[in-house]
Amino acid sequence: MTYTVLGRCHRTGRLGIGIATFSITVGRYCYGVKSNAGVTVSQAFANERNNALALRLLTQGFTARSVLQQLMENDPYADYRQIGVIDRSGMAVAHTGPHTRGWSGHVVGENHVAFGNGLVGPEVAAAIAKGFLAEPDADLEHRLLMGIEAGRDAGGQGTREQHKAERSAALRVYSTDTFADIDLRVDLHATAVEELRRVWTEYKQYEAYYRDRERNPSGATGQEEFMKTLRAAEA
Amino acid sequence: MTFSIIARCPHSGRLGLGIATFSIGAGGRCEGILAGVGICKTQAYTNRGNDPLAIELLAQGHNPAHVMKMLEHNDPDHAYRQIGIIDREGNGVAHTGSGTRPWSGHKIGKGYVAFGNVLAGPQVIEAIAAGFMAKPESALEFRILAALEAGRNSGGQVGAQGHLTERSAAIRVVADPDYPDIDVRVDLHDDAIVELRRVLEEFKRYEVFYRDRGRDPSTAMTQDEFVATLERSA
Repeated sequence: MTYTVLGRCHRTGRLGIGIATFSITVGRYCYGVKSNAGVTVSQAFANERNNALALRLLTQGFTARSVLQQLMENDPYADYRQIGVIDRSGMAVAHTGPHTRGWSGHVVGENHVAFGNGLVGPEVAAAIAKGFLAEPDADLEHRLLMGIEAGRDAGGQGTREQHKAERSAALRVYSTDTFADIDLRVDLHATAVEELRRVWTEYKQYEAYYRDRERNPSGATGQEEFMKTLRAAEA
Repeated sequence: MTFSIIARCPHSGRLGLGIATFSIGAGGRCEGILAGVGICKTQAYTNRGNDPLAIELLAQGHNPAHVMKMLEHNDPDHAYRQIGIIDREGNGVAHTGSGTRPWSGHKIGKGYVAFGNVLAGPQVIEAIAAGFMAKPESALEFRILAALEAGRNSGGQVGAQGHLTERSAAIRVVADPDYPDIDVRVDLHDDAIVELRRVLEEFKRYEVFYRDRGRDPSTAMTQDEFVATLERSA
């Protein structure tokens, strides 16, 4: 019971993951993204080694299709896994094993994979893709969050009779650096997608400040001083 | 305005990092930890490139002191950074640059480095170390949590305008290079260390269930069934 969007920005090549689920601390399964290599998530009954293996294969230059095939051949329980992969060229592929639970499936297009399991129905995956594609020239993190929110609004996890709460969510984006560009998480919350939006909105106010004080520490103001300018702008 | 500990468990060899700070989303700036290799955490006016670079250097076989020297040569603003490094054997080094905001400092102990900046004073670092050493037989994640709680309880962060709350916190513990063992985060909260304890304790109830359903899905119960067993035992 999880829904996820993997995306690649067609303008910048940035790569990212947006994810929401009933399980707690889902961000710990989101290390499968690397600059100029690709992005991948294994979910449902997740094989904990898949993401690291897939990233190594993507780094070596295998296409998304070949990586997915190798992951499945490597795994006796491939029928229980749900896997999405996008490579650095934007080729996107997905696998939804027949033994994943509830309604499960994926929507794949150039530069994106929308997929999930334990969902209300196919309209959730369709809504995620539509949300991701709604503003194609916006920042990738914004598009990923729009995808997840659209999935939630289409019913998210559970059944038509009984919705299942999103207890954790995460958003990760890599640009050209060896470290994450955006890396935000909600690990345990009654409405994790709403909370992720709150954290994201707050973080976005600080993003440039945090970056600039790292690059030019000798000219940086203290965070308390910076927050005064935020409050003055709000007033 | 951050306090942190990086450490190695002497029993298991697991490596772990704990951090708490006034800034938002601190756990998203903790890439420098790799099982069997070591940990590097750069903070204060951080250099995000330092930690991934240091992990590469440790993996190549350089010792922590030499890695620190290479980071210094690579960074014109080294004086503004605070950096802790330990290797796979628990050998630690630290650097608190003269340009970091006071009070800032570090303590290097056997298998750990405690360090922070914009703190109430040296007692915070001493408390972090004492908290970490209080129950040396405990699991590394709980020793790290105890260290962060002790740092908070001894005054934590104090800036020019007084005490600063912990708004974000994180603990990561690794045993395997492919995935984290423990990885819990609080990115924006009024009392982030309190919330981090809540998340960690809840995660520990699910830890084995989450691991085993991935390793053998054919015999896994559903999460609904598992949650029901938790509720019955509560």
